[in-house]
Amino acid sequence: MSAPEVVRVSAPTPPSSPAPSVTTPPALSLTGVTKSFGPVHALRGVSLQLGRGEVLGLIGENGAGKSTLLKVLSGVHEPDSGALEVNGKPVRLRSPEDAARAGVGIVHQEQSLLTNLSVAENIAMTSGSRAKAATRFGVYRWGHLNRVAAQVLARIGVDVDPRTTVGDLSFVDRQMVEIARALQVDTGAHASPVLILDEPTSLLERDETAVLEREIRSLREIGSVVFVSHRLDEVMRICDRVVVMRHGEVVGDRRTSEVTEDELFRLMVGRDSRATPRERRSREDGGTAVLQVEGLTRGHAFRDVSFSVPAGTTTAIVGTNGSGREEVVRAVFGAEPFSSGALRVAGKDVGSWSVASAVRAGVAYIPSERRVEGMVGGLSAAENLVLTHPGEATRGPLLRPRARRKVAETWFEDLDVRPRQPDLALERFSGGNQQKVVLAKWLSSPDLKVLVLDHPLRGLDPGASETVNAQIRAACARGTAVVLLPDTLEEALELGDEIIVMRDGEVTARFDTSRETPTALDLLEKMV
Amino acid sequence: MTTMSTTTPATTPAAPAPAPSATGRARRGLPPGLWQAAGPAAVFVVLFAVTAALQPAILSGVGPINLTTQATAVLLVALGQAAVLHVGSIDLSNAAAAVLGAMVLALALGPLAAAAPLVTLLVMALVGAVNGLLVAFTQVPSFALTLGTLGVLQAASLVVSDNTTVYASANGEVVSWLFIQAFAGLPVAFWFAVVVAVLFWLVLRRTSLGQALTAVGLNETAAVFSGLRTRWLKVAAFSFSGVMAGAAGICIISQAGAASSFGLGSDLLLPGIAAALIGGTAITGGRTNPVGVVFGALTVALIPITATALGVTPQARSLVYGVVVIAAVALTASRARGAVVK
Amino acid sequence: MTGLTTVTDVLTPAPPTTGARRVRRGHGRLRSSGEVIALLVLLLVFTLLNPGTFATLTNARTVLDQAALPLVVGVGATLVILMGSIDLSVEGVMGAAGMTFVLLSANSRGGESHGALALVAALAVGLLIGLLTALIHTRLRVPTFIASLGVWYIGLGVATLLYGTEGIPNFSDPATANWASRLLLGLPHSFWLAAAVVVLGLLVGRYTRLGRSAYALGADERIARDNGVRAARTKVLVFVVAGGCSALAGVLASLQLGAGSVTLGAGTLFLTIAAVVIGGTSLGGGRGGVARTALGVLLLTVLNNGLILSGVSPNIQSAVSGAVLIGAIVAAAWPHRSRLRVVK
Repeated sequence: MSAPEVVRVSAPTPPSSPAPSVTTPPALSLTGVTKSFGPVHALRGVSLQLGRGEVLGLIGENGAGKSTLLKVLSGVHEPDSGALEVNGKPVRLRSPEDAARAGVGIVHQEQSLLTNLSVAENIAMTSGSRAKAATRFGVYRWGHLNRVAAQVLARIGVDVDPRTTVGDLSFVDRQMVEIARALQVDTGAHASPVLILDEPTSLLERDETAVLEREIRSLREIGSVVFVSHRLDEVMRICDRVVVMRHGEVVGDRRTSEVTEDELFRLMVGRDSRATPRERRSREDGGTAVLQVEGLTRGHAFRDVSFSVPAGTTTAIVGTNGSGREEVVRAVFGAEPFSSGALRVAGKDVGSWSVASAVRAGVAYIPSERRVEGMVGGLSAAENLVLTHPGEATRGPLLRPRARRKVAETWFEDLDVRPRQPDLALERFSGGNQQKVVLAKWLSSPDLKVLVLDHPLRGLDPGASETVNAQIRAACARGTAVVLLPDTLEEALELGDEIIVMRDGEVTARFDTSRETPTALDLLEKMV
Repeated sequence: MTTMSTTTPATTPAAPAPAPSATGRARRGLPPGLWQAAGPAAVFVVLFAVTAALQPAILSGVGPINLTTQATAVLLVALGQAAVLHVGSIDLSNAAAAVLGAMVLALALGPLAAAAPLVTLLVMALVGAVNGLLVAFTQVPSFALTLGTLGVLQAASLVVSDNTTVYASANGEVVSWLFIQAFAGLPVAFWFAVVVAVLFWLVLRRTSLGQALTAVGLNETAAVFSGLRTRWLKVAAFSFSGVMAGAAGICIISQAGAASSFGLGSDLLLPGIAAALIGGTAITGGRTNPVGVVFGALTVALIPITATALGVTPQARSLVYGVVVIAAVALTASRARGAVVK
Repeated sequence: MTGLTTVTDVLTPAPPTTGARRVRRGHGRLRSSGEVIALLVLLLVFTLLNPGTFATLTNARTVLDQAALPLVVGVGATLVILMGSIDLSVEGVMGAAGMTFVLLSANSRGGESHGALALVAALAVGLLIGLLTALIHTRLRVPTFIASLGVWYIGLGVATLLYGTEGIPNFSDPATANWASRLLLGLPHSFWLAAAVVVLGLLVGRYTRLGRSAYALGADERIARDNGVRAARTKVLVFVVAGGCSALAGVLASLQLGAGSVTLGAGTLFLTIAAVVIGGTSLGGGRGGVARTALGVLLLTVLNNGLILSGVSPNIQSAVSGAVLIGAIVAAAWPHRSRLRVVK
């Protein structure tokens, strides 16, 4: 295999590299691609090129714009401006079918195989597949179907019987079937297809990824690969070149042979923010821990997680997708089970733990999936507010609509919820105002001890974020123990009295910010 | 109905639910709030007017009595069905439960006399609770589970009656007055059912129990995350359905003095669902107006009479009910693109 | 709106653990062998309980004759359930199609025989009713359980209207009246008919795009659609096929009864759904098949037949089916229980 040809155009921080030498066009080329969602600029003039037979790594923190870029490449989103070229030809990708026709195949993070059908059938289903010919008048010709599928699999060297049911395959094999399927995009027209792999290893155990890594490296003999991952060591091993994204821009473009992991970390984080040294309640004399978590374990999801949160302090847990931090906080709230370990709230061991018992014990949870889990959209804002802790709003079993309205009006005033119509169905408020109401629902508890916040600021505009943050701080000041899953590392550094880092279901580091001032880089190193 | 959806605001006193200001509410086929408030009564009134114009006899004499007598048992099972639909499930066993309830009562009247109706209601509440417990705690689809209980209850009726008719041979007067005594020209039993509907309305709109039931129906996941005991709320709804089936059983004995597996009451299932749906109950849960269900039941009872007046044979009744059920669901179904409906 | 049958797993799709992956392997084979063993055990137990009456050729013929109806209906029901849908209209379709057949054959009301036309017309009624259910579901987006519930009663209404007000229409041609129970190669016609339908069903499930699309839709409708499965078309065709099966069952039921009746399908729905579920086809869709349903039907029929021979009242037949249905769905749902699972 000849050395991959590397061509770069207008990367913001271009490394010292030879001038582009264009003999054959690059497999994929993006120039000045922008994409905005309302006020949010997801992509700000992204330019990058993928050489033929190259494996390109794409890294960046959550929210850096990776997933938007992938959606642009796979035809899910059309860019607002900028140009796309595949094999030197300008293309417009308006649908996944367009992308497939242009020779761009994608393997999504979530599996897209039908697990109850055979490998061959799954391969045959893809649009544009040669295997379509394996049915005649709606009748399957299994022999033909299996032969074609075997060829498709053989092309990337996968040793899987096409007659196997997908559900019986190991995860690695399933990924390889997905890759084989994505690679058969119109191979007749495109001798060198482009394959996009979105975190293909995130669901694998570490030892399984080695197999997949080898397979991916061998793919460069057939086409070109864009490999998205949050595991830096993997990117260094698999890829020829790495593109780093931050805030919707390409901030780095390096050959893996000429870059260190440290440098990539720095590019991902940008200005390296540090926990601000400020007066904090020391964890030792801060009284007893309101929430104690000891050795919490559930299979592979999380193992031996321990931490304790004293009254009036915030513990921030950081980690990438699949780090298990979401599962841990949901277990704390009783929404998911745990197999071993202990939970204590206000010093009391919890027995059979469920959401209802967690709520009674004074635990509150703001879920990240607000519309599905956080609120009953069809009920009014006021009804949502008093659903868990009715307080004044009921007398015995009876509702007191007027008192409820009054309670709601006070909260609406305090949190500046707009419009000031507590009787309006909550689903008709904006996201930020919904989140304020959800927060108020828990803050109105007379007995709030632990506040668990799962990405409380996700999707909020700056104004609403400010209000929600202020309320969280106020609750903390009143003595509530806060467990926070922040959106960004900056948020963790700003708010966390203790910061816990998780990776692959285990705690990899913990920082007491009253004694040390970790930087975002320190956190990131333990995350990926 | 389409014109109503665009003009009239929700105005009947039966709808204290917040009437939201009109900003972008065009996600459903028909605005549920509006239909719930005025639709059921309007449909009944129009249908009644048409029937009366064709056949003035139903306005006088036994006409209204016949209509409400027919409507009573339907109304009772429909209220139970509405409660189950309100939490997002369905109860296909309630008609079979009503028949079994009638048999239990017929057998219990002799030895227990006045206590027999109470025992019947208790037994049927238990039957409903078993449905609810199985649905809530084993997490099986309610339509499949209640189809199974339907089979078991039918067999129970056959065994209890030994496949013949069970007569309430003694103490029939304990229940027979329900359809003999009249208040304001209509049978007392009907008024009882109406009172149950109003009480149910009060529970839904004025108690925290009702609010919790509504939350479960609208978004069960969020209800769980709010710390509500969603499983027990489902059990409560199914138990209520059982009690209502028992009450329908009492009506059967009161009217006929006897019960059999394929006799009076055995065909209440679809009329009950139809009455609940015409009454404005959303099949997706969380939207129920028990007062609307009263008109739903009256409409269902009126349909065969109207059919006769229009010259259509009343034999087509079940055909009409089938069409009505589908139409009621289709008109209020969400048309969200790409959503998976099974 | 999601239908009542939709099962929402609100947990984020967690990576299946290594253990779960291993367990799934060979799971299907294990389960159906369980049913075969159950059937053999039942046969053995009833043979011992009823020496001289159960294990006889006559009784075998009776069992196969009784199994014919649920087998024919079961083929259509299996395809529908494989998609994750449900067809409750079985008994209504049977009534309407059976009545059509009787009235177009030589009967005691003095009707003329229209020969094969009677059969064609009866099947057409079923296909049309199936089409109606499918269109209500796909066009009006009504969940199948409510669409087919409505259509069930529409079918009964059609049957009632056809029946009219005259006396019961009996087949007047004795060759027709006893067709079902006449023997061919030692086994009743009704069984051969059912066997043919089952074989056709097996072929459809295994070898046609229609059958495979049904499996795909049942596994995950979104993924299936993303993979190019034509969802609406598949649903329409499957419901039409199911309507045809129910109609054929209606014809068969009227032949077995020797007369037309609106309610000749009574009890078939449970028996069939219970058989499908006990066979191992999941109500959620995607897993199972026609062969399993055939096994489930035999299991339930032998159970009912054996119980009656053992002196248990025939009145509890529907309880047996109902209890089996409840037990089967609870057993199938048990491993999937979780705190946040929403099932309606």
